Amino acid sequence: MSVLNAHPEHDHAPEHGGAQTTQLWLKTAILLGLGIYFVYNILTGNLTNYINERFAWLSYVAAALFLVIGAYSAWHLLTAHRGGHGQHAAHEQDHDHDGHAHGEISWGILAIVAIPLLLGTLIPSRPLGAEAVSGGVNISAVESAQVTVLSVPPLERNVLDWLRAFNRETDMTAFDGQPVDVIGFIYREPTFADDQFMVARFTVSCCVADASAIGLAVQSAETASLDQGIWVRVQGTLQVGDFRGERLPVIQASQIDVVDQPDHPYLYP
Amino acid sequence: MNHESRAPLRRQILTVAGVGAGIVALIALLTSGSDFGTLLSIFSTRFLGIFIEAVPFLLLGTFVSGLIEAFLTAEDIARVVPRNRVLATVVGTFMGFTFPVCECGVVPVVRRLYSKGLPLSVGVTFLLAAPVINPIVLASTAAAFGIGEVLIGRIIITIIVAFSIGLVFAVAARPQEVLRSAHLPVAPVMGGSGELPVMPLLSASPPRKSLPAGLRDAVSLAGDEFFEMGRYLIIGSMLAAAMQTFISQEFLLALGRGPIISVIAMQGLAFLLSVCSTVDSFLALAFAGTFTTGSVLAFLTFGPMVDIKSMLMFLGVFRRRIVLYLILLPLLMTLLIGIWINLNLAL
Repeated sequence: MSVLNAHPEHDHAPEHGGAQTTQLWLKTAILLGLGIYFVYNILTGNLTNYINERFAWLSYVAAALFLVIGAYSAWHLLTAHRGGHGQHAAHEQDHDHDGHAHGEISWGILAIVAIPLLLGTLIPSRPLGAEAVSGGVNISAVESAQVTVLSVPPLERNVLDWLRAFNRETDMTAFDGQPVDVIGFIYREPTFADDQFMVARFTVSCCVADASAIGLAVQSAETASLDQGIWVRVQGTLQVGDFRGERLPVIQASQIDVVDQPDHPYLYP
Repeated sequence: MNHESRAPLRRQILTVAGVGAGIVALIALLTSGSDFGTLLSIFSTRFLGIFIEAVPFLLLGTFVSGLIEAFLTAEDIARVVPRNRVLATVVGTFMGFTFPVCECGVVPVVRRLYSKGLPLSVGVTFLLAAPVINPIVLASTAAAFGIGEVLIGRIIITIIVAFSIGLVFAVAARPQEVLRSAHLPVAPVMGGSGELPVMPLLSASPPRKSLPAGLRDAVSLAGDEFFEMGRYLIIGSMLAAAMQTFISQEFLLALGRGPIISVIAMQGLAFLLSVCSTVDSFLALAFAGTFTTGSVLAFLTFGPMVDIKSMLMFLGVFRRRIVLYLILLPLLMTLLIGIWINLNLAL
């Protein structure tokens, strides 16, 4: 039993080697870096490119914990270096935890944990767009018990609200003539008619792992001049029509304006 | 010392997983028409999305683990866990209410509790049950599905599966054959796996730490453990993001109709996506309309127990053969229960 209880990783030399010190500083830098990255995401609003705003408070928690752990690690390294041998002995004693592999950190682990930091800082943050649509854009929406969509005035409904309203109605002609004013990105497939496109949004329940694309069909003579993926505001009226061989409410666009990507690119069901 | 001989193995598995993800990405790049920048951007967004959503729970898990290390002694655990094996396993099932962690956080906590002498079977039951049977996850499930058959089904199936697998371990397993040697308890506590040799408890516990010293230790440990466990989360998130970016959802969804194939498909999806149990019910909601109820329940019960990242984290605690059992037993049990629900209950 005593053999099994031996912890080889505790046998490290009392003095930190040069490489180990570098590793510990790198570890501290990654912790602080991740904390700063989370704060940056929160301040710039980039967070909404990744997760549902409802869970933003989790990122506040993560930012705080990263900064606390990183700051403690930095303070620990600084005092351990200044303190000389006596301090060092105390440091070793301080860290004599049962069964805990303290100091077991390798270049490999550091490299892996640095990946999110590198991807997050080197690749410009962009929300999922038309290129990320796989398996087509849905024309039916996630239902939710609490939604009282029919109380939302037609002109204030977004793409998700409209699809939910369609779900609740068996007679699609009931929507004929209703005014529409929605924002979304242009989505087109080769199979669409030449004068038709979809104004689409991604819905995100928790994070982009569950993102799914939904959209409304639009009928417009301007279709050919609109590029895939650009953000537009579509105004018009609904009229039941043919879209991909299905009978459903189609927006007869009266005006299409190119707009900036909204601050909240996803809709939250 | 066989601990050393096992460390390179874990490294090899990690390397293989990393290289595998790289190859999948490369093949997809070569076969798809999209340009590299666009795909990389989509992959990066998906990966960071999963990472940003999951990492707070991982940090909370490691912090809770640090607090346990600093403030909980083996005697505390001995006092709480009953000596009777069945009762001890029951305790393990509901321990999630005292340690509210999802599957990203449960592994560090279990590992810490093992080194504090938690009986093996209780830890296994806790490991499998805690990601569902805890206040946060039950609240999120209720928010997504309301208080109804999905919430109740999720609770009942998780309890059945976790409890029976825990009992198997209580009767059949010895800790030396199960745990990686570094995590064997210093002083095993009676109850649960009764075969544990009785050790004097006195030698086990240093005196309880003062509050500031304990908190400092907890913070320091949380940092160490974030790196140890975080790498599995990161590799798992990268695999999941690669699957989502490079395999068409249409193909996955085409599987989801039949009473049997839909369960298998949703189990596979739960495994590959590795979404945190705290938030997976919102994801399941998106499938609830098109997929059978049995398959949604299999997704909500199998996913929290086993997925890519928790599997990789299991390898840090248990021996390889045991990790295989911990994957196969929940897989088969939730599969059978899911199919049974589809065939017998018209929910």
